Amino acid sequence: MPDQDLLALHALAVKKAGNAEAVAAILGGNEEEISAALDAAVAAGHAAGANGMFMVSPGGREWLDERYPEAYADFRADPAATEAYERFERINRELLGLFTDWQMVPAAGGERVPNDHSDSDYDAGIVDRLGAQHERAEKVLDRFAELEQRLGIYKTRLDDAYDRVLAGDHDYVSGARIDSYHTVWFELHEDLLRMLGREREEAP
Amino acid sequence: MTAVADRVVVLDGVTVPDRDVVGNKGRSIAWMLSLGLPVPPALCLPIEECRRFHAAAGELEDEAWQSVLAGVTGLEEKLGREFGGGDHPLLVSVRSGAAVSMPGMMDTVLNLGITDEVQAALARLSGDQVFARSTHCRFVHQFGQTVLGADIEEPGEEATPEQVREEVRRDTGEEVPTDPHEQLKAVIKTVFGSWSSRRAKAYRRHWGISEDGGTAVIVQAMVFGNLGEESGTGVLFSRNPLNGDPEPYGEWLPKGQGEDVVSGTHNPLPLEALASQMPAAQERLLEAAKLLEREHGDVQDIEFTVERGELFLLQTRSAKRSPLAAVRAAVDLADEGAIDRAEAVRRVSAEQLATVLAPRLTEAVTAGAEVLARGTAACPGVAGGVAVSDSDAACEAEGDTVLTRPTTSPEDVSGMIAARAVVTERGGSTSHAAVVTRALGRPSVVGVGEGATAELSGRELTVDGSSGVVYAGILETEEVDPSDVPGLEELIEWAVELSPVAVVDAQLADAVDLDAAGASLEESAPDVEALVKALDGASAARGSAIATAEGARAVLLAGVPTVERLPGQQAAALLLRLAQEKANLEEEEG
Repeated sequence: MPDQDLLALHALAVKKAGNAEAVAAILGGNEEEISAALDAAVAAGHAAGANGMFMVSPGGREWLDERYPEAYADFRADPAATEAYERFERINRELLGLFTDWQMVPAAGGERVPNDHSDSDYDAGIVDRLGAQHERAEKVLDRFAELEQRLGIYKTRLDDAYDRVLAGDHDYVSGARIDSYHTVWFELHEDLLRMLGREREEAP
Repeated sequence: MTAVADRVVVLDGVTVPDRDVVGNKGRSIAWMLSLGLPVPPALCLPIEECRRFHAAAGELEDEAWQSVLAGVTGLEEKLGREFGGGDHPLLVSVRSGAAVSMPGMMDTVLNLGITDEVQAALARLSGDQVFARSTHCRFVHQFGQTVLGADIEEPGEEATPEQVREEVRRDTGEEVPTDPHEQLKAVIKTVFGSWSSRRAKAYRRHWGISEDGGTAVIVQAMVFGNLGEESGTGVLFSRNPLNGDPEPYGEWLPKGQGEDVVSGTHNPLPLEALASQMPAAQERLLEAAKLLEREHGDVQDIEFTVERGELFLLQTRSAKRSPLAAVRAAVDLADEGAIDRAEAVRRVSAEQLATVLAPRLTEAVTAGAEVLARGTAACPGVAGGVAVSDSDAACEAEGDTVLTRPTTSPEDVSGMIAARAVVTERGGSTSHAAVVTRALGRPSVVGVGEGATAELSGRELTVDGSSGVVYAGILETEEVDPSDVPGLEELIEWAVELSPVAVVDAQLADAVDLDAAGASLEESAPDVEALVKALDGASAARGSAIATAEGARAVLLAGVPTVERLPGQQAAALLLRLAQEKANLEEEEG
């Protein structure tokens, strides 16, 4: 089982850089404990920190890669995890297509042009598709949470993003600088890939 | 509108029922029929029935169901087909249709009424076994997903209906009905039930929409473009969506069906092919396009099918168009009197204008330039800088950089923000890099090939995110001359006439500088009230925020007579914003 030190560094690696609060948001853990774990990571040379912001160091990355196989041995060997991940991949393909449709509108001649969001029917259709995928995502996260409880936090985070989209805050579909649906989904993907020891496969 | 046993409305266009009764889609079908346009016949369970359904704890009253059956008989008689059987079977689609569209409602189920016998009849009629089988598979799949909540893969080409049924059974423990009437009843109940889905409720809560409404159900006959000769399917634009030419533009796929044209799996023919094959259908189609364009006051994108020589319009909507076409069509529609000039100015978004006016690489420049890599054009625009292979370097660099990565992960977002452009080795137009760069407006080329970025590091590059090419060196871009863009000069002229604010190039000593006042353009939209306060009593203004709708509105509300153009801002874009917001304000005042 992964310990707190591993988890804190793992979550930091998923985010790349962040403060204890951001790492706690991924782990759903206690901010003080995580702050202590991050300080310990800095002391061990696994992370660099300044002004409360932390980053995983190259040494920390190696350490993580060495620890993962053992820490997640059960998870990796569990057919339920593999099956849940296959479902995740299916939703992932749909979602990436959806984010593209959100940003680029099909025009005549097979061309795509940036979505200026002037067509509310088009946007509403995509928000509706996002809702359908969100419902699938919730089911998959329930499966993951049964295997690894902390992954349940992503359900809350995705739900928050979706709820904002529903309320008309459309940046929360795929905005890159905020905890948009895409941002959270992408962190979840990174989290799962690291736990499972897999490589990212990009859409063709 | 004809009542069938009171509980169902036949959408025949004799009258156009209110949207509060039959919903938006129902109204639109009746409206098109009332114009004499050929639309497949349909019937509607009005919104009232949705309320009854919920009052009856999720049951369809028998009287309503009997009315549906009578309505289906009416469709059968009108078309000479039989629902769920016969030599020429009738298939129907079922859609939801509320007065206000909202997420979370069940949208559409197609091909209801299919059975093994109907599949065989379809195969005979179309001479296409694969089509008949896949129609059956798609129905079972769609029913499984939308009615039973199955999470299963799209059926493959080789799948059989029984295999898909088995998948649904495994996932949900439930059966997809083989009886056409059971299929119909279950889908109608699902539509009504979806009014109370968690998502629909959440949406209504957010937007303060009453829970007392409901959705109508539209049951419409399906037509097929692949049943025999003189059949096919196509798309028609009432004018050219690529360049805005006032000529109809379209594609025709003989013996094609449904998604065949839009999916890109088949190669459709130009519209002239329809003209030579079936001139009467072509003529009727063009008349319909003209009529719909005039009624809507906008370019229309019309999906149509010809079944055994008979034309049917399946859907019409405002056409997506290129930025060039948006300018041309807006000006032409105003010249033709379909819309006024203020509306024409509002039809072109500031983003479209920015794209039209974006500096570009000329052929003279690119012809002599060394191409370093080619990939998928993921975010349009041209930008250059020194290639850096990791995000930290992009963040720390003083000058312009281009971020080059094998692939991107969340850790690269900060680097993508700092860089002017992005290049990746793996991934396509839906990859993470593509999605993020478009959100940030950074030109990007993705999928340039394994290992291709290694040799770029440290070199100066120019990324053309419109064509998907990476060039060596910093290439010079060329400004666009408005007279080269059809319609643009008129549009700018109208914006000047409509904008009460002048836009000048001269530096004005007494201009209020919004950027200096702390109202610079960050991530979120600026606050109009705060801007108005900052501009109070000013004789002139400048600032990045004025390029936004909120900024233009604040300038108008504060009564500032002059705006100074900043370097990098386009006078035409500023004028367009000001004219648009002026029109919006006038409309709001009534």
